[in-house]
Amino acid sequence: MSDILRVTGLVKHFGGLAAVDGVSFAVEANQIFAIIGPNGAGKTTTLDLVSGLLTPTAGRIEVLGSDVSAATPAQRCHAGLGRAFQVVQPFPEMTLRENVLVGALFGTPGRTRADAERRADAALELSGLAALADVDAEDLTLMQEKRLEIARALATEPSVLLLDEVMAGLRPAEARDAVALVKRVRDSGVTIVFIEHVMPVVRDLADRVLVMDHGKVVVEGSYAEVTQDARVIEAYLGKEEVA
Amino acid sequence: MSASTRTRRTRPAQFPWDLVGLVLLAVAVAFAPDLLKALFGRASVSYLSIATNALSLSILALSWDVLARTGQLSLAHAAFYGAGAYTTALLARHADVPLWIGIPLGGLAAVVFALLLGAATLRLRGIYFAIATLSAAEVLKAVVHHLPTGIAGGNAGMNVPTLFRPEFIAGQMERWEVAFLRNEAYFYVYATLLCMTVLASILVQRSRLKHAFTAIRTNEEVAGVMGVRPARLKLLAFVLSSVFVGMLGGVEAHRVGSVLPEQSFSVSTTVLALVTPIFGGLYTTLGPIVGALGLSSVQEGLRRVFSDGYLIGYGVVLVLSILFMPRGVVGLVGGLLRRRGKREAGR
Repeated sequence: MSDILRVTGLVKHFGGLAAVDGVSFAVEANQIFAIIGPNGAGKTTTLDLVSGLLTPTAGRIEVLGSDVSAATPAQRCHAGLGRAFQVVQPFPEMTLRENVLVGALFGTPGRTRADAERRADAALELSGLAALADVDAEDLTLMQEKRLEIARALATEPSVLLLDEVMAGLRPAEARDAVALVKRVRDSGVTIVFIEHVMPVVRDLADRVLVMDHGKVVVEGSYAEVTQDARVIEAYLGKEEVA
Repeated sequence: MSASTRTRRTRPAQFPWDLVGLVLLAVAVAFAPDLLKALFGRASVSYLSIATNALSLSILALSWDVLARTGQLSLAHAAFYGAGAYTTALLARHADVPLWIGIPLGGLAAVVFALLLGAATLRLRGIYFAIATLSAAEVLKAVVHHLPTGIAGGNAGMNVPTLFRPEFIAGQMERWEVAFLRNEAYFYVYATLLCMTVLASILVQRSRLKHAFTAIRTNEEVAGVMGVRPARLKLLAFVLSSVFVGMLGGVEAHRVGSVLPEQSFSVSTTVLALVTPIFGGLYTTLGPIVGALGLSSVQEGLRRVFSDGYLIGYGVVLVLSILFMPRGVVGLVGGLLRRRGKREAGR
């Protein structure tokens, strides 16, 4: 199988609490893979473990077949993992182009300056930020900040892009734009793993859906499959959401 | 994509102000001693010594700033300075090492110590990092204190031979001219060291390191996820910073003629190293130098007006400038210029 990201038996304890408790899943190349679940289900912790910001208590993470469980965040980035954060964190002292350039310069080792600048411009273009390239990153709207988050991650040339609640806080029209952006990114050849609360977005985007609750996987399947699952309805969706 | 890439390829190349500035600096210091001598005659001896102190402060401040660009607000500069001073002094005393080797080895000793300290403090942030680095100088001071006096001189320190000893021969030159020659030679050594520090700083600012350092300073976690290796680059910044201040310590040991624990590992070295860039403007090549020249002038001016208690006035100037110029002299002037440019563009 062409699994691009494979997570096996992932466990993370914070003191006595098992925030992530034996999570396993595999993402195929060019899929859009959604992780959903109620607050506190362990979704963001799972992404933090995958991108190396947290050290797992147990478990194994493979990117493109190579084990990165003990690697630093930078090494995982070089191995092909990109990450956009839920709480957008631009480098405020830099322009947008410089923000993205950091990813382009350092995301893939051995790239020349000119090459990185081209890559940064391409990432800005794909994210719809080309016109704002020379603006300081502290003067952005929320939607622009989210686009910048994605552009920076794209500039590292990831095989897999981890997106944490890109739609949170966006107005409906902006959310539609964001959905279109995620599709464009996938069409450019990037596999996507995303956390999302807004169910219509999950329906529109996801090829596969993983439902988590209390740090465990409840069920994994297509959108239609998981929304019919009685455990999911009970744990997360609530009765009116299904309709 | 291709259309917009084309429009953006037309970005004009930036005028290399930094390199031109370095050349101007080199030319200025090359002619400064002769100019001072022509203008002030006998008094130029002390002016040259004041100018050398300003160069010394510039090296201290700029080397500190290079490390600060990674967000590591270090209080270890006295440790690097002292490590360099004592290494150079010990080599001169026990091995008769010539200065051209002794001073670079002082820099090397500072680098070795900086790598150890940097590795130990990698995971510390904010106040914890500051305290750990502050203790570094105290540890070295204690070590030097407790070594047998036969090795490092203990509390009383060691004498270090001065580098330049032009001989006074009656009838050939006046006494002040001989003193001038000695001060001039030191001035050139300091000026060379400053030009090296400036060059290193410019190279950092022109390379991808500038972006990496800023990214690490702003958000280390995000920088890491974007492929920047914070640990490696923070250590590199420690190396770049300590090598110059270590050599400065070595040169200064020769100029002063002695090393003492209290003087070589003095807290005031650390304080000056961080106050000067804050006054001039952080995270730039120009800021720390402007800060050093500005503070040296303020201090000298005040000393001449109030011979006693001038340090109080100096302190007041520092407090006021930090309160009212949070981005330093360079930030203030840059902001004013930008505002004027915008107003003119608006017309």
